[in-house]
Amino acid sequence: MIVVLLILHALLAVTLLGAITHQALSVWLPARTQAESFVARMRAVTPASYANAIVVLYLATATLGAVIYPSYRINVRIVLEQLQLYAANGAFELKEHFVAVGLGMLPAYWYFWRRPLAPDHARTRAVLTAVLAFVVWWSFIVGHLLNNIRGFET
Amino acid sequence: MSFTRSFPTFAIVFASAYAVLYVISIEYNLALFTYHPATEEFYFLVKPASDQPAMFWYGWLATSVLGALAIAGLVARLPEKFASRISSGWSWIVPLAVMLVFVYILRGYFTK
Repeated sequence: MIVVLLILHALLAVTLLGAITHQALSVWLPARTQAESFVARMRAVTPASYANAIVVLYLATATLGAVIYPSYRINVRIVLEQLQLYAANGAFELKEHFVAVGLGMLPAYWYFWRRPLAPDHARTRAVLTAVLAFVVWWSFIVGHLLNNIRGFET
Repeated sequence: MSFTRSFPTFAIVFASAYAVLYVISIEYNLALFTYHPATEEFYFLVKPASDQPAMFWYGWLATSVLGALAIAGLVARLPEKFASRISSGWSWIVPLAVMLVFVYILRGYFTK
């Protein structure tokens, strides 16, 4: 059962990663000409249309992560400590705290991406998106690495 | 007090207060409850276990959310002349600073 939840957690994280990356690219590196290439089309999306989906996906991914966290605590972290994999352990500690801090930013993120977008808050929107994108990328990479080191049922 | 006037103030203060309360909760272990994963038991406030790991993370989240809700709710009710002075930038400056604090706190994991 825990493996099913872990895979679902990963699938939600992939979806979230795609959405927040699209939004961050379109805010920080908007396409200036007609989007023809794959990369240009990634940058040419309407960023506001992603905001609600990102909030829902972030909450769903974090909630599922919280559900499987006890299994990690018992089956994975203890082994990481025994193997003296300090950096891997520390990376996960940072992941849990970054995700928690990101949760607190969601109401502001949601509000400042509400349409019509207020031009006065363009920088706030851009930075909130960048910080959340960093949190999501960090969490995804760390989760992937730890799963490679030791999955829950290996 | 309308939604459009008070919610931005609430959201900005919540983001800041929550981040600060979260790091304080961890540093002083102010978990609202503790979870013992091996026995699947919850305990009110902090309760270490001798025979299994104790999880405080959920309790830290709960402490921070409740505290930030109270603070942000109070600030959102202040007169507009005070609320309008709160820059939207605080919604990311404080959380970002707290993330850097965590990097500093946990640096030992990466220097062993």
